[in-house]
Amino acid sequence: MVSAIRLSLPGTLEYRPLAVRVVAEAARIVSGSARRDPRISGEHDVHDPFDTAVVSAFMEIFNNVVVHAYERAPGTVEIEISFPPTHDELVIDVTDHGTPFDPRNVRPLPRELDDDSLPESGMGMHIATAMVDELAYHPGPPNLWRMSKRAWRR
Amino acid sequence: MPPAFEVTRNDNQTMLVVRGSLDINTAPILAAEIDRILAAKPGRVNVDLTPLDLIDSSGVAALVKLYKGVRSAGGSIAISGARDQPLAIFKLLRMDKVFDL
Repeated sequence: MVSAIRLSLPGTLEYRPLAVRVVAEAARIVSGSARRDPRISGEHDVHDPFDTAVVSAFMEIFNNVVVHAYERAPGTVEIEISFPPTHDELVIDVTDHGTPFDPRNVRPLPRELDDDSLPESGMGMHIATAMVDELAYHPGPPNLWRMSKRAWRR
Repeated sequence: MPPAFEVTRNDNQTMLVVRGSLDINTAPILAAEIDRILAAKPGRVNVDLTPLDLIDSSGVAALVKLYKGVRSAGGSIAISGARDQPLAIFKLLRMDKVFDL
């Protein structure tokens, strides 16, 4: 098995589908899941719970880098996807050179959901945190997001 | 590649089908369509997410905006068909019960 995949790409929304596709394929390497429909793009063909969780968390982190770190201005994102020797875990590092993120800006989700309290923002970090085993942030420069998730042993 | 969503209108009912990925790239396009849907003050909106493969928080926000907008105008809305990753996201956010998915 490959030990790591490294990507360096513009931190813009145009390159987001490419980054998500690579992460989806990396998740499939660990989970052992198969594509269901080769006719559609790989990042859309996500069904396994492990793949779903990894892709969901990564999408939110990439969004965060584009919107908050770079404020939609051009910048570079480095992505390193590591496969520990146990072959049952995925570690993804996302590095940017933009404005550091302030975790204090993350507000809790409402305890009770109704028509008034349904959130229209502030959900991304909650999704990312809940979907992986660990999500750490090290403000820079450069800023580093590290997420890891262990696969269910088959 | 088919469009990310399609809207059909019959009398006082609107059907919205969302497919592919509803995310930070595509949600703004849908949001503009949602503004048009809400401006028409439909009595009933049906949202079919069966062909939807992926959603992120931006996509969820767009659907919440539609849900709130229809209901605050006195209309009713049904969201159905969520599966796989989108369903996992709605469950995580506890919106599956609100939307009755």
